Parts: sequence; C-alpha cells; structure tokens
Amino acid sequence: MRTVARRVLQLLVVLIVVTFFTSILTALLPGDPVTTIAPFSSAQDRANIREQLHLNQNVVERYGEWLKNFLSGDMGREYAGTGIRGTDIYGRIKDTLPRSLLLMLYVQILTLLIAVPLGVYSAYRAGGRFDDIANGFAFFLLSIPIYVAATLMLLFLSVEHHLLPSEGWVAFTTSPVEHFKHLVMPVLAITLGQIAIYARLLRTDMVATLQEDFILMAKSKGISERRVLWRHALRPSSLTLLTVAGLNVGTLIGGALIVEVIFHLNGLGFAIYDAINRRQYIALQDYIAVIAIVYVLVNFAVDGLYHVLDPRIRGARIG
Amino acid sequence: MVRSRRSRWATAVAAIAALAVVASACGGSSNKSSNNNSNGGPATTAGIHDDSAGGGTPVRGGSLVYGLESDTSGGFCLYKAQLAIAGIMVSRTIYDTLTMPGADGKIHPYLAQSVTGSANNTIWTIKLRPNIKFHDGSPLTAEVVKENLDHYRKDNPLFSFVFAEVKSVDVVDNLTVKVTTTVPWSAFPWFLWSSSRLGIMAKAQMDSPNCNTDLIGTGPFEYVSWKFGDKFVAKRNPNYWYHDPTTGAQLPYLDQITFIPQPDASKRTSSLEAGDFTAIHTSDALQIKNHIRPDVASGTLKDTESDQWPELGYILLNVTKPPFNNLAARQALAYGIDRDTYNKLRNGGILQNASGPFGPGVPGELADSGLPTFNVAKAKQAAATYKTQTGKDLTFTLDYEADDPSTTQDAILVQQMLQQNLGIKVQINGVADQSTLINVAIGRQFDATLWRNNPGADPDTQYVWWHCGNSGPINSNPNAAAACDNPVNFNGFNDPVINADLDKARSMPLGTARTQVYEAINRRFASELWNLWSQYTLWAVAYKPTVHGILGPALPDGAAAFTGLPTGHPVDGIWCTGGKC
Repeated sequence: MRTVARRVLQLLVVLIVVTFFTSILTALLPGDPVTTIAPFSSAQDRANIREQLHLNQNVVERYGEWLKNFLSGDMGREYAGTGIRGTDIYGRIKDTLPRSLLLMLYVQILTLLIAVPLGVYSAYRAGGRFDDIANGFAFFLLSIPIYVAATLMLLFLSVEHHLLPSEGWVAFTTSPVEHFKHLVMPVLAITLGQIAIYARLLRTDMVATLQEDFILMAKSKGISERRVLWRHALRPSSLTLLTVAGLNVGTLIGGALIVEVIFHLNGLGFAIYDAINRRQYIALQDYIAVIAIVYVLVNFAVDGLYHVLDPRIRGARIG
Repeated sequence: MVRSRRSRWATAVAAIAALAVVASACGGSSNKSSNNNSNGGPATTAGIHDDSAGGGTPVRGGSLVYGLESDTSGGFCLYKAQLAIAGIMVSRTIYDTLTMPGADGKIHPYLAQSVTGSANNTIWTIKLRPNIKFHDGSPLTAEVVKENLDHYRKDNPLFSFVFAEVKSVDVVDNLTVKVTTTVPWSAFPWFLWSSSRLGIMAKAQMDSPNCNTDLIGTGPFEYVSWKFGDKFVAKRNPNYWYHDPTTGAQLPYLDQITFIPQPDASKRTSSLEAGDFTAIHTSDALQIKNHIRPDVASGTLKDTESDQWPELGYILLNVTKPPFNNLAARQALAYGIDRDTYNKLRNGGILQNASGPFGPGVPGELADSGLPTFNVAKAKQAAATYKTQTGKDLTFTLDYEADDPSTTQDAILVQQMLQQNLGIKVQINGVADQSTLINVAIGRQFDATLWRNNPGADPDTQYVWWHCGNSGPINSNPNAAAACDNPVNFNGFNDPVINADLDKARSMPLGTARTQVYEAINRRFASELWNLWSQYTLWAVAYKPTVHGILGPALPDGAAAFTGLPTGHPVDGIWCTGGKC
C-alpha cells in the first residue's frame, strides 16, 4: 500500500514537472498564437481569443488554470476561433492514444522477439564470428535514423512493389489482416534501431551471468547448454533489459511521433506534432500530461516485474 | 525573383486572400490551349492539360480517395472558416455557390437561376432555382440566402471588408434576393462565388452550436464523418439538383469521396503511386516535373494541369522604410535577379515568369508590362544611384519561412544571385513559421520577404490587397510619410494612381475599357516595382487512369467548366471507369 502511495506521489510530481516545463517551453515558442489561430481577425476578436486562452495571464497563472481543469477531468477543446467549437481534446485522446500504445506495444514485442535470441546467442558465442557479425549488423541498424528507414521502406515496399499500404490506420476489429499490413512498416522502422540496444545490453549481462558459479554448477550437473542459457542464465540477465525497456518508452514515443507523421497514423504523437504547429497550448499540455502518466505507469509496471524475475528483490523488500 | 513554394503560410495567405478576393475574371482570353510535351504535361507556358476529359460514357459508382495538402482546423462553418485550397475542395463537396465561373472567363449563375444588375450595377437581383433542398430536406429560400449573406458580411473579418460596399440584402419573395451596393459594382456576381468560399449553408447548420462540424449544404455529397488530421468522408447526395447536361444523368457519379490530408507533397505523390490515394492535388513544381509527368508518360497515372488564373509568387518589399522606400533600391533588385535561372533551379523551369500581377486568363494581363528584366549593368547603376541618394550601400534582410526547406533554398539562391551579380550584401533570416511570417508582415517589421498570394480572379478581387483608404504621397519618394492604412496591404505601398484606378475600375461596366484600366495598373506596378514578381503557380491534379471528369460538367447555362485550379475543382462530375476507382 505504501508502495502504491509512493508511486502515485511520484506520478503527480512527474506530471506537474513535465507539464509545467511544457508550459514554459510553449510560452517561449516564437510567434503569436493568436496570429496562428486567426491571422486576420479584428482587434476585438484577438482580445477575445487572448481572454479565452488566458494569454493575458503570466505563464504560472495560465499553468495553474490548466492544472485545475485537468485534475478535475476537464481537458477542454482545441481552440478553433471565436464562436467555433473546436475538437474535443478528450475525444481526440480517446481516438489517438490506443493507436500509439498499440504501435509501441508491437515495437516492444518485435524488438524483444529479435533482440533476445540475438543477445543470448551472441553471449553464448562471445568473441566468435557470429558475435562480431551480429554486433556489426546491430550497430548498422542502430545508425539508421527512423525517418530514413521509414522512407526507404515506403519507397521499396509500397511505391515500387505495392506490397504494403503507404499510409493510414485500420482498426484490428475492422480487419486484422489490414491492421497488420498497415503497421508492418511503421513498427519495423522503429524496431530496427531498438534491436541493437536491447541485444547488446542482454549480451553483456549474459556474458557476466554465464561466468557465475551457479551456471558452472548447472553445467556440471549435465544440464543441456540450451536449458542453461534459456532457463538459468536469461532470467537473472534480464533485469537491465527490463529497466531499459521501461525507460525506452520515452524513445518509442519520439519514434512514434515520426512514423505517425510519415505514415499518417493519426496517433497521439501526430496529435502532439499538430498541436505544436497550431499553437494549441491547452491540447498540447493535455497530450503531454497523458504521455507522462503512461510513462510513469509503464515504469511502475516494470518495477513490479522485477519482483517476478528476481526473487531476491522480492525478499529484500519483504525483509 | 522568388517563389515560396507551397509553404503553409503562403497557402494560408492565398487562401484567406482569395477568401476576400473571390472570383476570377470576366471577359478573359480563351484558355484552352492544350499543349502537351513529351512528359505528358503542358509546355512551360500558359496552358491547360486535361487527361480526364472524355473516356466514354460516365458510369455511376465508385469511391474516390483524394489526398489533400492540409486539413482545415477551424471546420466548415463557412462564414467563420478560413479555407485554403484543401478546405475549398471539401467545401465544394458539401456546398454550392450562387455563381460559378466558366471556361469563357465569365461568371455564370449556378445555385442561382440568374443574377441581374440594375442599369448602373448598384442593385443586384438574385433569382434562386426552385425546388432545391438542403441535405436535411429543408428548402433553399431567399430567406436562407439572405441569412448566409448577412453572416458573411458581418461575421467574417475579411468578408466584411470585401462586402463593405454592400448597403443591404433584402428578401423580395421566396426565391428572390436583392442586394444593394453603395457604388456601382460590375463584378459583384464574382463575389457570390468568392473562389468557392461563399457556399450556401442550411439554416439548421447556421443555428447549430456545432456549425463547423454539422455540415448541411445543397452540394453533390452529404457529410458523413470528419476526424481532424485523419479523414473527411462524404456520401453521394441522392437528391442533388444538378444533372449532367451532356448525358442527362443525375450528378454526382461517385458513391463516396474521402479526403485525406497529407501535407508533404512528396508523400502525397508516393501514396498516389502506391495506390492508397486515387487522386491528389499539388503545386510543387519539382514534384510535377520529376514524378507526376514521368508517371503520366509511362501510363501509370494521368493528370490535369493548369496555369490558368494562377497564384503569384514574389518578393514582398516593405516600401514604408529604407531601403525599399527608394525606387532605385527596388530597381537594383528587379534588374539584379535572374528569374530564368531561378526558375530553372528552383522550379525545374516549368513555371512561367510573371509579367505582372495578372496571370494567364485574367483581364489586365500583359505579355510585356515593362517589368525590368535581368541586366547586371542596370542593376549596378541603380545600386549606385541608391548610394548617391542616400549615402548608404544597398543592403537588406530577406525573410523566409524556415520550417520549409524548399523556401530556405529559395532564399539562399536569391542571396547568392545578388551578392555575386551586384555585390549587394543580403542577410537571410529564417522566420520560424507561417504565423510568425504573417505577423511580421502585418507589423511591417521586415525589409523583404518571400511571398505568394493573389490567386487569379477578376482583377477587382485584388482591391482588398492593394487599395488604401488614406490618400498619401507615393512611397517611391524617399521622403514619403504616409504609408497605407490597410493592414493587408502588407508592404504598405500607397499609390494614388493605383487607388484611383481600382476605384474607377470597380464601377466600370465589364469590357475593354475596364480591362485597359487594369492594364494600366499592371504597368504601374512594373514602373514603381511595389513587389518583385517571380513566377505564376502551376497546379496539377494527378489521379489513377480510371478517373475522369476532374474539371466537372458544363455549367447549367451551357458554358464550359472553369479551367483554373488554384482554388480547387468541382467533384460532381468525377467518375471512374466501370464504377470502380
């Protein structure tokens, strides 16, 4: 119970710090948001917009106003002009957040499916030819920026060979096949760079684990190499990987933003990009706050997984 | 000279521009000069190339997916909306306008059965077609039209400026509206079209608190759904009032149309090539030249291209302060920039150098307005004159929109040309984004900036951008004081000759004498060099070979469809081979 309370407190602190700094950064953006929203509006309309968006207040007061509304569950609407009801921000989050979460989930799954065997086998053959080749290839993939990978795949698989759709989102419930066809390239574009990170981390930990006494003991008992690797060595070597996988959610959000724009997936990353471009300050803070919450919750879950993976941690906490 | 290619600020400015500006010209020249080159597009000079014409007997059915260059954040409550070309395409799908231009360069009745001026053009009688219903089943009446026009006059900052000389709008009977103006206004019917921005909405939409999303028009398609940034879907209006005058078939032919915003021009093209879009529009000259035309030549795509009634790219010069309040400084730039080389490097050479503010098809267009051409000796002479008059070397800052890589390259090229040709020091200044650039322009806090605006229309529609209410000295006089009081005359020129000519032409009857006044304005721009014109825009609509009827059917009075593309095109006449797109 105390752990949960501490986590909730952490969540609130992270939420406030992140959104407050977002508020400051958006206030520092060049240009007048009123001009963006209504470039040729009358002086009266401009004054109204300033009033409605609290732009006459200083950044702290404006932030306080937003926080009060957000915590009471009122995310507001995007500003579309005097007398025009803009897009409901909660509705947009409801539409876009699942897309981004699903994208990141697929990326994590695919990355782990490739990186774990690669890391385990590299560790098993540490210093050998496979290790060298895997290492080189992983770093080659790491060096390809997401937008380059996305663009090349787009040109080759979509424009040239018409194998995959170049853009858009299809819900799983509408058509599972189309759903995955539309997500192959976006997921791959992000995954490629992640493989190297995960595989190299796991390899390093595995190499150390394989030199532990309990591994020697297992081997001396005649347990097969495969079983030693996958049952005895992998689990204690996964803690760093798990930690990084949790922290890496931030990187994935950045990657999601890029591929959502390129592949027109209209997820939360695209919504953030759009909110920045259109100076939708309130919406932007809502989106960032939601991401901060997701980020903290994911890492909260990762902490929970430590206990599953390593009984020593569980014991330490109990003790 | 410079063109800020397809940048969002330019689009927005052009959009809002045309919002006020409206319509294209009357009495223009014929613009049907089909002129193919080996790449399947028109030659580099004025022309219209349309692969979508013909194709046999139109067939009903099909779902078209159209890639647009942007979405419309404020929605489609038209009297509050700020529509760029993408928004206009959506608007034309849901709404009809009272008038519509034809290929003959004249304005024709559309939703209206007739629009008739009094003898001196101060009273305009709009007679509506009978038995037309909105998508919600309510009838089109004079009362609804009056309410629409009143909203446009009073609730839209730019339209209220455009319609400042409308004294009253009155209902005569159930199908007749009378508009009284304070001055004779010969081009008034063009403003009922307003580049397709003056659509007529149902009363239920105007009264709705969700006016921007509860779309109810009389147009060929009915609103189904819209998720901002994602897609806009509309389905066939089974009760659409208009029939194809050629086949007699009820329009539209398509069952459904879906608009998907994709701001990146290259991505828009690749999605068409990949088969995810059925059609797209673009004004990116290099995309047209390097991708679309080769695809057309290979038969994988078809396209419709038009440089008729074009927008205009230029360097906007702030003439309210040094150095460009001095004519010699403006002349140095006009002579010192090699527009041919610029066009070749930045537009693949496929655009037409602008001879003045009025592009092909627009009354007032001149093949030679007297605009200075590239001449290093004269440029150096003008720069020397500037130094003699002011005691200073000619130097200035050129602003551009920094978030558009293409515009950055435009600015660098101009900088290099002036430095290499004349030794003029040019500082280039990347302004963060579209809004900042507009803000800078409205505040006249710039020396020179890359700009695009003034879509082709009746020249009277440029009144809002050039006219000044306050009379003042000509700014070419270095000692001039009074800048223009019109905030959307961005560079602040206040030319009494142009002011007087604009007022005079507005009230003149359409015809040769009026055209001559606009020709005089054109020459005046060339001699005073208030702006440095670069190239006219080329718009293309590219599509799968199965798509036909992009320019739409003939108008109700038999006139051929309009051939300008800067403010979109109709969608009611689009059909697909075999009813499958």
